[in-house]
Amino acid sequence: MSKVRNVLLMTIIFLLSVAVMSFAAKPIKIGYVYIMSGPFSTYGQFAKQGAELAIEEINKNGGILGRPVKGYFEDSTGKPDVALRAIRKLVYQEKVDILIGLDSSGVAKTVVPSIPKMKTPLIITHAATPDVTGKLCNKYVFRISLNLAQNVKAAATLASQMDAKKWTTVGPDYAFGHQSWEYFKKYLKQMKPDVEFFSDSEVAFPPFKTTDFSSYITKIMNSNPDGVFISLWGGNLIDFVRQAKEMGFFNGKYKVLMSLGAATEVLTALGDKMPDGIWVGTRYWFLANNSELNRKFVKSYYDKYGAYPSYNAHGAYAATYAFKKAAEKAGTTNKMAVIKALEGLKIELPAGMVEIRAEDHQAITDAHWGQTFHLKELPLSILAPVKVFDGIGVTRPIEETECRMK
Amino acid sequence: METFVLNLFNGLSWGMLLFLISIGLTIIFGVLGVLNFAHGSFFMLGAYLCMQFMNLVKSFWIGIIIGPILVAILGLVVERFLLRKIYDRDISFQLLLTFAILLVLDDAVRLIWGPGYYVVEPPLILSGVINVFNHTYPVYRLFLIIIGPLIGLSLLMFFKFTKYGKMIRASALDKEMAEGVGINVSFVFTSVFAFGTWLSALGGALAAPHQSLAPSMGERIIIESFIVVVVGGFGSFTGAFVGAMFIGLLESFGTVFAGRLQMALPYILLILILIVRPTGLFKKGT
Repeated sequence: MSKVRNVLLMTIIFLLSVAVMSFAAKPIKIGYVYIMSGPFSTYGQFAKQGAELAIEEINKNGGILGRPVKGYFEDSTGKPDVALRAIRKLVYQEKVDILIGLDSSGVAKTVVPSIPKMKTPLIITHAATPDVTGKLCNKYVFRISLNLAQNVKAAATLASQMDAKKWTTVGPDYAFGHQSWEYFKKYLKQMKPDVEFFSDSEVAFPPFKTTDFSSYITKIMNSNPDGVFISLWGGNLIDFVRQAKEMGFFNGKYKVLMSLGAATEVLTALGDKMPDGIWVGTRYWFLANNSELNRKFVKSYYDKYGAYPSYNAHGAYAATYAFKKAAEKAGTTNKMAVIKALEGLKIELPAGMVEIRAEDHQAITDAHWGQTFHLKELPLSILAPVKVFDGIGVTRPIEETECRMK
Repeated sequence: METFVLNLFNGLSWGMLLFLISIGLTIIFGVLGVLNFAHGSFFMLGAYLCMQFMNLVKSFWIGIIIGPILVAILGLVVERFLLRKIYDRDISFQLLLTFAILLVLDDAVRLIWGPGYYVVEPPLILSGVINVFNHTYPVYRLFLIIIGPLIGLSLLMFFKFTKYGKMIRASALDKEMAEGVGINVSFVFTSVFAFGTWLSALGGALAAPHQSLAPSMGERIIIESFIVVVVGGFGSFTGAFVGAMFIGLLESFGTVFAGRLQMALPYILLILILIVRPTGLFKKGT
């Protein structure tokens, strides 16, 4: 008999606690999807750090609309089908209010067309293919960071001022590398019609998994270009730079532009092995903006993780705050209302003032390029001088984006 | 001509690293019959520990000695307390277990060293460049080309001429018979696994000055090592060497001559081998 009573008692306690819990403010749920495993997991881990910092700060300051924020992190593994499954899980199982993430252009291209079915807004923070705010654009998908066309337009502007006529490329063998090269060719040709580009068989697109770039380096050096545009990133770029340096690639024979070379994780790993005077670009450079907000972000990030924030950490941090601002502007977390609020949203981020253009949902944000310069006092090369390319100037006009918002 | 020589060097030095990791894989398979998915993680751990001790005592050579030994001890523990329990079970247990070890080690590395990238400098004596046909070429890569065959040769001598090497070969060929003539097979198994692990970790330590360190760096190389081992012939010593050189050269010359087909070449070779000569180029037991 007492057993029955115990069970009854337990049930009542359980029901009561559920009731009490539902009285407390229900948390707002944010679903993050990044590469958390495999060779490029570095990027997901940095994004997670940026996101967790933002959530911590927001919760300390009273949450969003008085409700605490909770982050759910899923691993895309860098594969489109896995990413899609992760997103479905976040939307249907965890019932998140918003999605943030995506590292790879390949993943983004597959995932983006499926987002409208899930009726949940997605803010892309890393994947850079212009298509997701171009011909694949839809009402639910936003991007808070620079896209590849913006970044490469700045690169082409720099290249047009150099006395290099014949250009070649080294880039990762997937959407990002190939599209970067296409846009580079297109913009540079417009700015300086007498340039030449090497044919597809002469340029180098090493596969993602490459760790030994020597044969690609040999190939590029033997083709004798005047300028080399490099769109490798992450570990690939680190390996390339070190091996290329030893093989005499940076001896000043060619002009070199690296579209994502100023990623802090790359520069930190390379330390003084990064050659000086190379033009490198990035989506966010922690020293480029001297605003109070940026200084505070860099400091709290450094205090928490012991490193300077990378562009991916900034992206996740920025998107979390953009969602906060949109929800507050809308006065609700209702998904359609948040989408409306995100359209045309102007927000100050550590990177500077950013506007999410209403027509194609692409952030109008500055592009940063600078020449590497190694300081003994710092563990990584800094950019000196830094060139800031105004957001409007590098962003494609709406007519060019092929975006037809549905 | 100069392109040819440079590509030859590129291919050989990459092939040597592949050889070091494949040879451990193939010895462990040849003797224990275990397909070790965690092998790439030992490679990774070798690189990280080499870096750790190198930073601690400011000597690459100390790092390259201590790092792989520590990993070998870990291998010993893995064999003694995990693998041994499942020798008699279905092969899928091995795959699951070694895959689980891989995941655990990847996460452990991420916890200890963080998610970022690291680079390791080659020792001063090997850090310069030399001139090859008006191109500078890193000394460290030439060092790899030399050290690879040296290690291979000493292994070959060990298996051919030492008593212990013969015991290992006997245990690999017939476990019961070896036990019958008084060989402590369980000890042989443990030591072979630890030794194979050491080779993989040594490969990682040698690769450290040549490629960046990041969690999961072992996952990339393990696939290529499996291709080497299948092409060369599972369990074959010569096969691992020839296979590794072959894949290395195929990749470096493929970049020049095959264009975008290059990345598919190792897989095409793998398929061809599986169809034409499923045992690999060299049979087991050499």
